[in-house]
Amino acid sequence: MKWRVIPLKTHDAATAMALDEAASEAVRVGGPPTIRFYRWLPSAVSIGYFQSMENEVDLDACRRFGVDQVRRRTGGGTVYHDHDGEITYSVIAPESFFSKDIIASYNLICGWIVDAFSQLGISAEFQPINDIVTLGKKISGNAQTRRGKVLLQHGTILYDLDVKRMFSVLKVTEEKISDKMIADVEDRVTCVRRVSNATRDETYQALWEAFTKDKDFYKGEWTEKELAYAEELAETKYSTREWNFQR
Amino acid sequence: MGKASLKVSGGKMINTKVELRNGSIISVQFTGDFFLHPEELIEVIESSLFGKRLGEDDLAQTIDHVLQEHNAQLIGASAHDFARVIMEASQ
Repeated sequence: MKWRVIPLKTHDAATAMALDEAASEAVRVGGPPTIRFYRWLPSAVSIGYFQSMENEVDLDACRRFGVDQVRRRTGGGTVYHDHDGEITYSVIAPESFFSKDIIASYNLICGWIVDAFSQLGISAEFQPINDIVTLGKKISGNAQTRRGKVLLQHGTILYDLDVKRMFSVLKVTEEKISDKMIADVEDRVTCVRRVSNATRDETYQALWEAFTKDKDFYKGEWTEKELAYAEELAETKYSTREWNFQR
Repeated sequence: MGKASLKVSGGKMINTKVELRNGSIISVQFTGDFFLHPEELIEVIESSLFGKRLGEDDLAQTIDHVLQEHNAQLIGASAHDFARVIMEASQ
Protein backbone atom coordinates (compact mmCIF):
# COMPACT_ATOMS: atom_id res chain seq x y z
CA MET A 1 0.00 0.00 0.00
CA LYS A 2 1.27 3.46 -0.88
CA TRP A 3 2.27 5.82 1.88
CA ARG A 4 0.53 9.17 2.01
CA VAL A 5 2.94 11.94 2.95
CA ILE A 6 1.33 15.17 4.14
CA PRO A 7 3.57 18.23 3.68
CA LEU A 8 4.46 20.57 6.52
CA LYS A 9 1.46 22.29 8.11
CA THR A 10 0.90 24.43 11.16
CA HIS A 11 -1.62 23.58 13.88
CA ASP A 12 -2.59 24.49 17.39
CA ALA A 13 -1.75 21.87 20.01
CA ALA A 14 -5.19 20.27 20.33
CA THR A 15 -5.59 19.95 16.54
CA ALA A 16 -2.05 18.61 16.10
CA MET A 17 -2.79 15.77 18.52
CA ALA A 18 -6.34 15.26 17.24
CA LEU A 19 -5.03 14.77 13.69
CA ASP A 20 -2.73 11.98 14.89
CA GLU A 21 -5.69 10.21 16.42
CA ALA A 22 -7.89 10.82 13.37
CA ALA A 23 -5.17 9.41 11.10
CA SER A 24 -4.77 6.40 13.40
CA GLU A 25 -8.48 5.74 13.16
CA ALA A 26 -8.31 6.07 9.36
CA VAL A 27 -5.46 3.54 9.22
CA ARG A 28 -7.38 1.21 11.53
CA VAL A 29 -10.25 1.02 9.04
CA GLY A 30 -8.00 0.55 6.01
CA GLY A 31 -6.77 4.05 5.14
CA PRO A 32 -3.26 4.72 3.84
CA PRO A 33 -0.22 4.61 6.11
CA THR A 34 0.64 8.22 6.69
CA ILE A 35 3.67 10.39 7.33
CA ARG A 36 3.03 13.99 8.28
CA PHE A 37 5.17 17.00 9.16
CA TYR A 38 3.92 19.92 11.23
CA ARG A 39 4.73 22.91 13.39
CA TRP A 40 2.88 24.28 16.39
CA LEU A 41 1.19 27.68 16.53
CA PRO A 42 1.02 28.99 19.16
CA SER A 43 4.14 27.37 20.61
CA ALA A 44 3.05 24.64 23.01
CA VAL A 45 4.09 22.23 25.71
CA SER A 46 3.06 18.61 25.31
CA ILE A 47 3.18 16.16 28.17
CA GLY A 48 3.28 12.37 28.04
CA TYR A 49 0.19 10.28 28.69
CA PHE A 50 1.32 9.40 32.22
CA GLN A 51 2.52 12.83 33.23
CA SER A 52 0.82 15.37 35.42
CA MET A 53 0.28 18.76 33.77
CA GLU A 54 0.56 20.52 37.11
CA ASN A 55 3.83 18.79 37.99
CA GLU A 56 5.48 19.26 34.61
CA VAL A 57 4.31 22.60 33.30
CA ASP A 58 4.53 26.11 34.70
CA LEU A 59 1.01 27.14 33.78
CA ASP A 60 1.45 30.77 34.81
CA ALA A 61 4.49 31.09 32.55
CA CYS A 62 2.52 29.48 29.71
CA ARG A 63 -0.23 32.06 30.13
CA ARG A 64 2.30 34.89 30.20
CA PHE A 65 4.02 33.75 27.03
CA GLY A 66 0.87 32.53 25.23
CA VAL A 67 2.12 28.95 25.22
CA ASP A 68 -0.52 26.25 24.72
CA GLN A 69 -0.59 22.92 26.59
CA VAL A 70 -1.74 19.46 25.60
CA ARG A 71 -1.44 15.92 26.88
CA ARG A 72 -0.39 13.35 24.28
CA ARG A 73 -1.79 9.88 23.78
CA THR A 74 1.81 8.61 23.86
CA GLY A 75 3.97 8.12 26.94
CA GLY A 76 7.32 9.81 27.36
CA GLY A 77 8.30 13.20 28.63
CA THR A 78 7.46 16.85 28.42
CA VAL A 79 8.33 18.68 25.22
CA TYR A 80 8.37 22.37 24.46
CA HIS A 81 7.31 22.80 20.83
CA ASP A 82 8.58 26.21 19.83
CA HIS A 83 6.90 27.45 16.65
CA ASP A 84 10.19 28.58 15.17
CA GLY A 85 12.42 26.03 16.86
CA GLU A 86 11.32 22.63 15.69
CA ILE A 87 9.77 20.40 13.09
CA THR A 88 7.45 17.63 14.28
CA TYR A 89 6.61 14.45 12.39
CA SER A 90 4.16 11.59 12.84
CA VAL A 91 4.24 8.12 11.32
CA ILE A 92 0.89 6.33 11.43
CA ALA A 93 0.75 2.83 9.95
CA PRO A 94 -0.45 -0.70 10.60
CA GLU A 95 1.53 -2.23 13.43
CA SER A 96 2.33 -5.15 11.10
CA PHE A 97 4.64 -2.86 9.06
CA PHE A 98 7.03 -2.80 12.01
CA SER A 99 8.81 -5.12 14.39
CA LYS A 100 6.88 -6.33 17.43
CA ASP A 101 9.93 -5.23 19.38
CA ILE A 102 9.10 -1.64 20.28
CA ILE A 103 12.70 -0.47 20.63
CA ALA A 104 13.51 -2.00 17.23
CA SER A 105 10.66 -0.02 15.68
CA TYR A 106 11.90 3.18 17.34
CA ASN A 107 15.30 2.39 15.93
CA LEU A 108 13.87 1.97 12.43
CA ILE A 109 11.87 5.22 12.35
CA CYS A 110 14.55 7.17 14.22
CA GLY A 111 16.95 5.84 11.60
CA TRP A 112 15.11 7.96 9.02
CA ILE A 113 15.80 11.02 11.16
CA VAL A 114 19.43 10.00 11.60
CA ASP A 115 19.65 9.73 7.78
CA ALA A 116 18.17 13.21 7.42
CA PHE A 117 20.74 14.57 9.87
CA SER A 118 23.45 12.78 7.94
CA GLN A 119 22.33 14.59 4.74
CA LEU A 120 22.81 17.83 6.67
CA GLY A 121 26.29 16.79 7.73
CA ILE A 122 25.22 16.06 11.30
CA SER A 123 26.45 12.82 12.78
CA ALA A 124 23.69 11.55 15.07
CA GLU A 125 22.58 8.25 16.52
CA PHE A 126 19.53 6.63 18.03
CA GLN A 127 19.86 6.39 21.79
CA PRO A 128 17.34 3.99 23.30
CA ILE A 129 14.75 4.31 24.55
CA ASN A 130 13.47 7.14 22.40
CA ASP A 131 16.09 9.82 21.76
CA ILE A 132 18.42 10.85 18.99
CA VAL A 133 21.68 12.40 20.09
CA THR A 134 24.56 14.18 18.44
CA LEU A 135 27.83 14.77 20.27
CA GLY A 136 26.16 13.44 23.41
CA LYS A 137 23.31 15.94 23.28
CA LYS A 138 19.67 15.28 22.53
CA ILE A 139 18.50 16.71 19.22
CA SER A 140 15.29 14.72 18.76
CA GLY A 141 12.75 13.11 21.09
CA ASN A 142 10.21 10.54 20.00
CA ALA A 143 7.22 8.68 21.41
CA GLN A 144 5.20 5.74 20.23
CA THR A 145 1.87 4.11 20.92
CA ARG A 146 0.19 1.07 19.43
CA ARG A 147 -3.58 0.84 19.63
CA GLY A 148 -6.06 -1.10 17.54
CA LYS A 149 -3.16 -2.68 15.61
CA VAL A 150 -2.03 0.78 14.49
CA LEU A 151 1.37 2.23 15.32
CA LEU A 152 1.71 5.94 15.89
CA GLN A 153 5.12 7.42 16.41
CA HIS A 154 5.58 11.14 16.64
CA GLY A 155 8.62 13.13 17.49
CA THR A 156 10.34 16.43 17.35
CA ILE A 157 13.45 17.57 15.53
CA LEU A 158 14.99 20.52 17.28
CA TYR A 159 15.95 23.17 14.78
CA ASP A 160 16.58 26.12 17.05
CA LEU A 161 16.70 26.34 20.79
CA ASP A 162 15.55 29.00 23.16
CA VAL A 163 16.62 27.25 26.34
CA LYS A 164 15.54 30.11 28.52
CA ARG A 165 12.01 30.04 27.13
CA MET A 166 11.93 26.23 27.15
CA PHE A 167 12.81 25.96 30.81
CA SER A 168 10.64 28.89 31.76
CA VAL A 169 7.55 26.89 30.80
CA LEU A 170 8.75 23.50 32.08
CA LYS A 171 9.26 22.40 35.64
CA VAL A 172 12.54 20.53 35.39
CA THR A 173 13.03 18.10 38.25
CA GLU A 174 16.30 18.07 40.12
CA GLU A 175 16.45 14.27 40.11
CA LYS A 176 16.41 14.08 36.38
CA ILE A 177 19.16 16.59 35.96
CA SER A 178 21.40 15.13 38.63
CA ASP A 179 20.93 11.63 37.25
CA LYS A 180 22.41 12.73 33.98
CA MET A 181 25.22 14.28 36.04
CA ILE A 182 24.97 17.48 34.14
CA ALA A 183 24.23 20.59 36.05
CA ASP A 184 23.67 22.85 33.11
CA VAL A 185 20.57 21.99 31.15
CA GLU A 186 22.00 23.56 28.03
CA ASP A 187 24.57 20.80 28.00
CA ARG A 188 21.89 18.15 27.55
CA VAL A 189 20.11 19.46 24.50
CA THR A 190 21.21 20.84 21.17
CA CYS A 191 19.60 21.74 17.84
CA VAL A 192 20.31 21.75 14.12
CA ARG A 193 21.33 25.41 14.12
CA ARG A 194 23.99 24.83 16.73
CA VAL A 195 25.65 21.96 14.87
CA SER A 196 25.10 22.86 11.23
CA ASN A 197 24.47 25.74 8.82
CA ALA A 198 21.30 24.15 7.45
CA THR A 199 18.22 26.33 7.22
CA ARG A 200 14.89 25.12 8.56
CA ASP A 201 13.70 24.56 5.02
CA GLU A 202 16.78 22.48 4.22
CA THR A 203 16.17 20.50 7.41
CA TYR A 204 12.59 19.84 6.35
CA GLN A 205 13.68 18.84 2.84
CA ALA A 206 16.23 16.42 4.31
CA LEU A 207 13.52 14.92 6.53
CA TRP A 208 11.16 14.58 3.57
CA GLU A 209 13.88 12.81 1.54
CA ALA A 210 14.85 10.49 4.35
CA PHE A 211 11.30 9.58 5.38
CA THR A 212 10.21 8.82 1.80
CA LYS A 213 13.39 7.07 0.64
CA ASP A 214 12.67 3.60 -0.79
CA LYS A 215 8.94 4.03 -0.14
CA ASP A 216 6.10 3.90 -2.61
CA PHE A 217 4.42 7.17 -1.67
CA TYR A 218 2.32 10.09 -2.83
CA LYS A 219 2.08 13.64 -1.61
CA GLY A 220 -1.33 13.73 0.00
CA GLU A 221 -3.77 15.71 2.05
CA TRP A 222 -6.19 15.04 4.88
CA THR A 223 -9.60 13.70 3.92
CA GLU A 224 -12.73 15.63 4.84
CA LYS A 225 -13.63 12.80 7.19
CA GLU A 226 -10.29 12.99 9.01
CA LEU A 227 -10.52 16.75 9.33
CA ALA A 228 -14.06 16.56 10.71
CA TYR A 229 -13.10 13.86 13.21
CA ALA A 230 -9.96 15.78 14.23
CA GLU A 231 -12.01 18.91 14.78
CA GLU A 232 -14.37 16.95 17.01
CA LEU A 233 -11.48 15.37 18.96
CA ALA A 234 -9.72 18.70 19.38
CA GLU A 235 -12.85 20.15 20.90
CA THR A 236 -14.12 17.23 22.98
CA LYS A 237 -10.79 15.72 24.08
CA TYR A 238 -7.48 17.48 23.49
CA SER A 239 -8.58 20.93 24.59
CA THR A 240 -10.46 19.74 27.67
CA ARG A 241 -9.31 19.95 31.25
CA GLU A 242 -10.63 16.43 31.76
CA TRP A 243 -8.06 15.01 29.31
CA ASN A 244 -5.14 17.36 29.83
CA PHE A 245 -5.22 17.28 33.61
CA GLN A 246 -6.27 13.67 33.99
CA ARG A 247 -3.19 12.58 35.98
CA MET B 1 -0.38 10.70 51.65
CA GLY B 2 3.18 9.66 50.79
CA LYS B 3 5.06 10.76 47.72
CA ALA B 4 8.25 9.52 46.11
CA SER B 5 10.11 9.66 42.82
CA LEU B 6 12.50 7.26 41.23
CA LYS B 7 14.67 7.82 38.20
CA VAL B 8 15.25 4.32 36.85
CA SER B 9 18.86 3.81 35.91
CA GLY B 10 19.01 3.79 32.11
CA GLY B 11 15.26 4.28 32.11
CA LYS B 12 12.53 6.72 32.97
CA MET B 13 11.11 8.66 35.86
CA ILE B 14 8.33 7.27 38.06
CA ASN B 15 6.52 9.43 40.60
CA THR B 16 3.94 8.05 42.95
CA LYS B 17 1.38 9.24 45.46
CA VAL B 18 0.27 6.58 47.90
CA GLU B 19 -2.39 6.58 50.59
CA LEU B 20 -2.36 3.88 53.25
CA ARG B 21 -4.79 2.76 55.92
CA ASN B 22 -3.70 0.25 58.54
CA GLY B 23 -0.71 -0.73 56.43
CA SER B 24 -2.73 -1.37 53.27
CA ILE B 25 -2.86 0.69 50.11
CA ILE B 26 -6.14 2.54 49.66
CA SER B 27 -5.03 4.64 46.72
CA VAL B 28 -2.01 4.90 44.48
CA GLN B 29 -1.26 6.96 41.42
CA PHE B 30 1.74 6.77 39.13
CA THR B 31 2.96 9.57 36.91
CA GLY B 32 6.13 9.90 34.88
CA ASP B 33 7.74 9.70 31.47
CA PHE B 34 7.76 5.91 31.18
CA PHE B 35 5.96 4.02 28.42
CA LEU B 36 3.25 1.43 28.90
CA HIS B 37 1.49 -0.30 26.03
CA PRO B 38 -1.49 -0.22 26.24
CA GLU B 39 -1.51 3.08 28.12
CA GLU B 40 -4.95 2.69 29.69
CA LEU B 41 -3.66 -0.28 31.68
CA ILE B 42 -2.10 2.11 34.18
CA GLU B 43 -5.51 2.48 35.81
CA VAL B 44 -5.91 -1.29 36.05
CA ILE B 45 -2.45 -1.51 37.64
CA GLU B 46 -3.36 1.20 40.13
CA SER B 47 -6.63 -0.45 41.12
CA SER B 48 -4.97 -3.88 41.36
CA LEU B 49 -2.93 -2.49 44.25
CA PHE B 50 -5.97 -1.47 46.27
CA GLY B 51 -6.05 -3.29 49.60
CA LYS B 52 -2.55 -4.75 49.16
CA ARG B 53 -0.20 -4.72 52.10
CA LEU B 54 3.25 -3.22 51.74
CA GLY B 55 5.97 -5.54 50.52
CA GLU B 56 8.14 -4.86 47.51
CA ASP B 57 8.14 -8.38 46.09
CA ASP B 58 4.40 -8.91 46.53
CA LEU B 59 3.54 -5.53 44.99
CA ALA B 60 5.88 -6.20 42.06
CA GLN B 61 4.24 -9.59 41.58
CA THR B 62 0.77 -8.02 41.53
CA ILE B 63 1.85 -5.49 38.89
CA ASP B 64 3.63 -8.16 36.86
CA HIS B 65 0.52 -10.30 36.93
CA VAL B 66 -1.58 -7.46 35.47
CA LEU B 67 1.05 -6.82 32.79
CA GLN B 68 1.18 -10.47 31.79
CA GLU B 69 -2.56 -10.92 31.87
CA HIS B 70 -2.96 -8.06 29.39
CA ASN B 71 0.10 -8.91 27.33
CA ALA B 72 1.33 -5.40 28.15
CA GLN B 73 4.77 -3.90 27.75
CA LEU B 74 6.33 -1.54 30.23
CA ILE B 75 9.29 0.38 28.80
CA GLY B 76 11.80 2.41 30.76
CA ALA B 77 10.76 0.92 34.10
CA SER B 78 9.90 -2.49 35.56
CA ALA B 79 7.18 -3.80 37.86
CA HIS B 80 9.85 -3.89 40.56
CA ASP B 81 10.65 -0.20 40.02
CA PHE B 82 6.97 0.63 40.52
CA ALA B 83 6.91 -1.46 43.70
CA ARG B 84 10.11 0.17 44.95
CA VAL B 85 8.74 3.68 44.53
CA ILE B 86 5.57 2.71 46.44
CA MET B 87 7.74 1.41 49.29
CA GLU B 88 9.71 4.63 49.30
CA ALA B 89 6.57 6.76 49.33
CA SER B 90 5.20 4.74 52.23
CA GLN B 91 8.09 5.39 54.58
